[in-house]
Amino acid sequence: MTSHVSGLYPWPYDGDLRPDNTALIIIDMQIDFCGEGGWVHSRGVELQNTRRAIKPLQTLLGALRPVGYTIIHTREGHRPDLSDLPANKLWRSERLNGQGIGAHGPLGRYLIRGEPNWDIIPELVPAPGEVVIDKPGKGAFMGTDLETVLRTRGIRNLMVAGVTTDCCVQSTLRDANDRGFECLLLEDCCGAADHSNHEAQIEMFGLSNGLYGSIATSDDVIATLAGAAA
Amino acid sequence: MTAYPQVKSDPYAWPFDGRFSPADTALIVIDMQRDFCDADGWVGQHGADVSPMRAVIDPIKTVLERLRSLGFPIIHTREGHRPDLADLNDNKRWRSAREGAEIGSAGPCGRMLTRGEPGWEIVPELAPAPGEPIIDKPGKGAFYATDLEQVLRARGIRNLIFTGVTTDCCVHTTMRDANDRGFECMLLDDCCAASLAHNHAAILTFTKMGDGLFGTVGTSAQLFEALS
Repeated sequence: MTSHVSGLYPWPYDGDLRPDNTALIIIDMQIDFCGEGGWVHSRGVELQNTRRAIKPLQTLLGALRPVGYTIIHTREGHRPDLSDLPANKLWRSERLNGQGIGAHGPLGRYLIRGEPNWDIIPELVPAPGEVVIDKPGKGAFMGTDLETVLRTRGIRNLMVAGVTTDCCVQSTLRDANDRGFECLLLEDCCGAADHSNHEAQIEMFGLSNGLYGSIATSDDVIATLAGAAA
Repeated sequence: MTAYPQVKSDPYAWPFDGRFSPADTALIVIDMQRDFCDADGWVGQHGADVSPMRAVIDPIKTVLERLRSLGFPIIHTREGHRPDLADLNDNKRWRSAREGAEIGSAGPCGRMLTRGEPGWEIVPELAPAPGEPIIDKPGKGAFYATDLEQVLRARGIRNLIFTGVTTDCCVHTTMRDANDRGFECMLLDDCCAASLAHNHAAILTFTKMGDGLFGTVGTSAQLFEALS
């Protein structure tokens, strides 16, 4: 029996959609990207653009968790001694106002593992047993065990959500696609600091009817789950 | 070895920490193959316009010849699959078939996106010189399933100048992966192209935001200014 989520193209391409071969990966929904007193907020960005993903993700998690889909969360952040921080990434981060990665913000050091602002926002806190991947870059594969975790669990399909659409979400999606994972970008569950970049990225992603995967909304996924249960 | 002053790129002068030289800097030419630049190649068989890709052949040639003459390492990449398609993901094959250009099937310049076929070759204007590394890659990014990182580290390369096609796909996937690995990257605007100009422009916007989230954007004129 095959099952598809309707979207840019019916996903997954071969209809092999099951809780045991499919994961939702939620990228970087941390206070540093979505909360007051975090890294992005300190740079004068309107949080509504990244926070738009929260409500749809809560609803989607409520539908996926009871039926056993794998849920994976990622966090961008560096070691407290900054030994995993490339010199150019640090230098760029300090240019705007001198407050770079590792500097002290109102809640703690920006983008540093273990600090309160580095944590995932309370609205989307991981459930016990859900995988959390700590990554030093934009992409979630480099310098992490994400691929090992996915292969070990037999995951082939990835629903990708979180922030920001044009940066970490996109880097991770591209790397997942090259590795053969069948990806679905959840448009309403993503956000960018600048919403026009979100829109440009979504449009680019649709090139050739899905060069890196398909695009749908959380409602489309939920409709498929409801159909399977009926 | 001669070191050159920073390139006046946007949003900051590149490389971030000062001078660059052939000892630490390479030019990467991404996928300037007939499959991407020729109407008879894979992209053309998708019905996409290849004229933007052809338009960057001359600017890349100028940069390539200048950097080559100054002794900078030049690295070429080619996207393509093994003739038996053992390295072709099922979904990539399925998507290409849907667009009427199935990878591995026969096209006007041989089997599409398949290693060894005429369409997979680099365009003659930009043919690699003897000794220049060529990276054959099965994906969009040039790091995955290749020895690119090993080649760069072994030569002590730290700074990368990006040219080639397409801006929004293979060029930016590779640049993102290079940036995560700590390489200091600059994309040359006039030496990269996408089939749709607004996608090329959007990538430049993403690259420059946040004080250079993935590096900087420069032009060949700015590069030449630094080299002189």
